[in-house]
Amino acid sequence: MRQTIDIPRFFFLSSAVISALIVILVFGFIFFTAVPVFEKEGVGFLTGTTWNYETHEYGILYYIVGTLVLTVVAMAIACPLGVLTAIFLAEWAPVWLERIMRPLIELLVGIPSVVYGIFGFFVLERVFRYHVDPFIDATLGSVIPIFRDPDPSSGISILLAATVLAIMVLPTITILVQEAMLSVPREYREGSLALGATKWETIKKVVIPVAVPGLLTGIVLGFMRAMGETMAVAMIVGNSARIPSSILDSGYPMTSKILNDIGYWVSNDEARSALFGIAVVLFCVEIVFVALIRYAGDRLRMDKR
Amino acid sequence: MAVTFNWRRTEEILFIVLCAGAAVLSALSLFAILGTITVEAIPSLGLYFILTAENEAPGVGGAVGNAIVGTVFISLFATALATPLALGTAVYLQRYASKNAFTRGLRYLIEVLSGTPSIVLGIFGLLVLVFYLRAYTGGFSLLTGSIALAILIMPVIERAIEDAIITVPTDIEHGSYALGATKWQTIRHVTIPVAASGILTGIVLGFGRAAEESAVVILTAGYSQFFPEFAVKSNEKLAFGMKIYPLQDLVGTLPYSVYHAYENSNVIKISDGFAAAFVLIVIVLLVNLTAKIILWKYGHD
Repeated sequence: MRQTIDIPRFFFLSSAVISALIVILVFGFIFFTAVPVFEKEGVGFLTGTTWNYETHEYGILYYIVGTLVLTVVAMAIACPLGVLTAIFLAEWAPVWLERIMRPLIELLVGIPSVVYGIFGFFVLERVFRYHVDPFIDATLGSVIPIFRDPDPSSGISILLAATVLAIMVLPTITILVQEAMLSVPREYREGSLALGATKWETIKKVVIPVAVPGLLTGIVLGFMRAMGETMAVAMIVGNSARIPSSILDSGYPMTSKILNDIGYWVSNDEARSALFGIAVVLFCVEIVFVALIRYAGDRLRMDKR
Repeated sequence: MAVTFNWRRTEEILFIVLCAGAAVLSALSLFAILGTITVEAIPSLGLYFILTAENEAPGVGGAVGNAIVGTVFISLFATALATPLALGTAVYLQRYASKNAFTRGLRYLIEVLSGTPSIVLGIFGLLVLVFYLRAYTGGFSLLTGSIALAILIMPVIERAIEDAIITVPTDIEHGSYALGATKWQTIRHVTIPVAASGILTGIVLGFGRAAEESAVVILTAGYSQFFPEFAVKSNEKLAFGMKIYPLQDLVGTLPYSVYHAYENSNVIKISDGFAAAFVLIVIVLLVNLTAKIILWKYGHD
């Protein structure tokens, strides 16, 4: 047989190689830029509490705490809402309602984050300042300190940013969880119902356990999206670097720190390296999450076999 | 018959109410946002607002014509840059690659890229494309923004195309091989045409993703109050001594217009910001709707 160069194969292979190279280049570059700050600060970069360009101290503990608190509060709102909505759509909603709601929810994934930002800043902030914050402060806040309102004159708070984030990741969670539940074979449900279980018992004891990998994927993806969100959060979280005293206090997540400072400090080697260091931390967390999703995905595939 | 308390039935009803309530609350919050933005936008909305460039409108803000054109341009360029790469990679992974370390690594890389916070790609673009390569990209420019966005949307398009190729029944490909067609002929005349609707959907979705992205665009495209112009002018700062408009020029985009309204809320009317947001939402929703319609009309499932 005549051996010729397979030009199409060469084209497809090279575009795959170029794709891989681009990704490696981007991440390699970000790591490379961040190296000086890790050399200088070591572990102190993660545990330090001072970030000061004048004294050349770079510690991001407050920003890590900011991201963590914000994301956890956002997920505490979004997870129950998203999962319950998904259960409703997958199990109880009549077909016509599901047909209307599902595409709507899918379309809403596309609302730009900066739009959520100005919505939070101009509209929701007032609602929180005059209604939500005083209410939480007066009820839960009188018992538990983390619900107290340190600044009644402002609605800008971790809770506000978390609420907006929750609305942003809600479609992601709902769609993925619903898909996971729909992929559970009908026979499983019928078997359970035939044994006399109610619909909810079937969902609780059969559908959800089988759908767990997909459910986890949805929640982890939602968490990732909430953690990496930048524009909307930076506009409404308050940006004050300290350990927040309550969820109605303002916070300063990692993404906001990068966004607020990079424009001014990009031409300063040391400051730039420190800001890229934050990106590296974000990126490392993300790699772990992607690995988690892959693991869950593998489980999903194994279960289907 | 004695009325007995039936826990199983009560639990069932409780959870139906809970789930339905959650669904209603989710739907309401999403509609409330869209509704509020529309209402807040109405005072500024109008043909003048959409068709005029900001420099021609009095004061700051006031019109977003330049930003609309800019958003469409930058998304088009980004899609055009990302699509060949995404298509090639997807076809390679689905039809050429064997399961080995390279393909597994490549898949992992693409997944990681698709999950990367946009701010990370944004600062990469700012440092490398805007600063280091400014002699070629023109610094903050349409080209810079398009390249950064292309990196962002490449995984989106790639995955959608892979999904489309997966749905192509292998029987008809085998039919093609049985008739003596080569692998390339089969891919070109069977696989890609059959998967065309899915591929097109993926490309449209990529366009939508590029149009909605805020952080990357703000960090790489800069802002201009003027409509993009088409010209080549001499410019000593750039490579080859010339500047190609609009590619190497600053470009205004809708996410930046919205962000401006927030940053300069003392000079720009709030309704201008919401109107820009409204226009942006309409564009993104129309694009996503187009993708859905393509899939409904020509899809195979």
